[in-house]
Amino acid sequence: MTSIEAAPIGRRDGRSRPAVSAVRRGRSFRLLLPALVLLVVFFALPVIALLLRSVLEPSPGLQNYAALLGSTTYLRIFLNTFEVSALVTLVSLLIGFPVAWTLAILPRAAAAPVFAILLLSMWTNLLTRTYAWMVLLQRTGLINKTLMGLGLIHEPLPLVNNLVGVTIGMTYIMLPFVVLPLYGVIRKIDPAILQAAALCGATRFQALVRVLLPLVAPGMAAGALMVFVMSLGYFVTPALLGGTANMMLAELIAQFVQSLVNWGMGGAAAFVLLVVTLGLYALQLRLFGATGLGGR
Amino acid sequence: MLLQFDRLGWWRWVLVGITAAATIFLLMPIVFIAALSFGSSQWLIFPPPAWTLRWYRELLADPSWLESAWTSLQIACLVTVLSVALGFLTAFGLVRGRFPGRETLKAFFLTPMILPVVILAVALYAFFLRVGLAGTTPGFVIAHLVVALPFSIIAITGALEGFDKSIEDAAVLCGARPIEAVARVTVPAIAHGLFSAAVFSFLASWDEVVLAIFMASPTLQTFPVKIWATLRQDLTPVIAAASTLLMAFTIALMVLAAFARKGRRT
Repeated sequence: MTSIEAAPIGRRDGRSRPAVSAVRRGRSFRLLLPALVLLVVFFALPVIALLLRSVLEPSPGLQNYAALLGSTTYLRIFLNTFEVSALVTLVSLLIGFPVAWTLAILPRAAAAPVFAILLLSMWTNLLTRTYAWMVLLQRTGLINKTLMGLGLIHEPLPLVNNLVGVTIGMTYIMLPFVVLPLYGVIRKIDPAILQAAALCGATRFQALVRVLLPLVAPGMAAGALMVFVMSLGYFVTPALLGGTANMMLAELIAQFVQSLVNWGMGGAAAFVLLVVTLGLYALQLRLFGATGLGGR
Repeated sequence: MLLQFDRLGWWRWVLVGITAAATIFLLMPIVFIAALSFGSSQWLIFPPPAWTLRWYRELLADPSWLESAWTSLQIACLVTVLSVALGFLTAFGLVRGRFPGRETLKAFFLTPMILPVVILAVALYAFFLRVGLAGTTPGFVIAHLVVALPFSIIAITGALEGFDKSIEDAAVLCGARPIEAVARVTVPAIAHGLFSAAVFSFLASWDEVVLAIFMASPTLQTFPVKIWATLRQDLTPVIAAASTLLMAFTIALMVLAAFARKGRRT
């Protein structure tokens, strides 16, 4: 600290800068070191090591990638991962947009409970929520029993261990991630623009399609991309609500490592997921700037 | 007109209807699980034929549930302390520092948030197997810290950016050593940021599932791993009881955090 105490208050360059600036300028990089070391040793290096194993095990070469991309089984898993993610993104947007819109125009007091529930569901443990859907959607679950009680169906619908189950469970998790950013976007729109549209003779529908939607579109695209990227890497919910027929990429990685102890293939599958995720994330940054947070 | 509730005409009822349905959709599983945890039916029938505390008694009678809860609590507390400390140093360095590559470093510190957790889990698992940290408390703490730290950095960076640093300068001009100025002026001023960093870090560790599934050993597992392992066997109401306790705990933390935020404003 001696250098700081000795630092003059008025600088020779004429700009008066108090002494703490010395800490800020010269030493602030050192403050990052503990976290930097932690992340390099326990994040960057292990991930790089895993990716290296994909080209080194069992022998150097690209055979793991060839096996991964050459097999119809694995290609089906890739395809399914994209399908599920796209479906979840679509459904989340279809529900999320009207909800965000309503929240943006409702009086604060009426919107507050909905926000509380959104945040509550966001912070409730992932397993807890997934367990709830496993119980609700099972053959003898509340949904099937209600539908049968209403006479709408005669046989229980297969709602779990398939695409329907995964889509419901994941949409449930992703909804807050769509609603909250969209709410922010809609709040920022100047209502005068829509009044102008009305004055110019636009009907409500025209104003929606030609004025409101184009204004919200960038926010929707950003939210959609974020939900899509988050869905691609999801593990817990697809593992519990999906069936063996529609496995997702994250489960495949876990299976390679945990049950097959095939680190080469696990690393290769992880690399594919990593490239797609980072690529889409870079695209999002490029197009919309930093908006969202990650997920599990 | 589309942004004014009163002038939406019949459209508003469509919007309100969808929002109400979505709210029920979000709330239903939470309420449902809480109700079932007090229900007497082993088959999770709703509404339950009778009310009972049986599942909570079973939960508390099984030492493995309590042990895993204790493990989770210990790990989450350690992660919280480390995450806030490292997050503070990092945020301070990032906000005040003017060095080359600052933006890149900032992005690097936040990558654990965007990378699919399963990749980190598998990579760390391989690394921990090699260095003997797999299935140990330090292993859990390190793994959870990696994912909790970005939350901490974001919360503290936000608070630091909102803090007028000329107050700190004034303290130094009044004769405080820089470190004293930071400890006695800056830290109290950004206490709300430190607090939300602590809450987010705690929840990030407490609720972490994917990393924990890979880190867990037969003798050491966290509460969510215990739920995961039980879930894979059957859908017993004991899980509903465990889930309800977990939710109650999370709600209590959220309410606490909300109060802390309110206290700051007034």
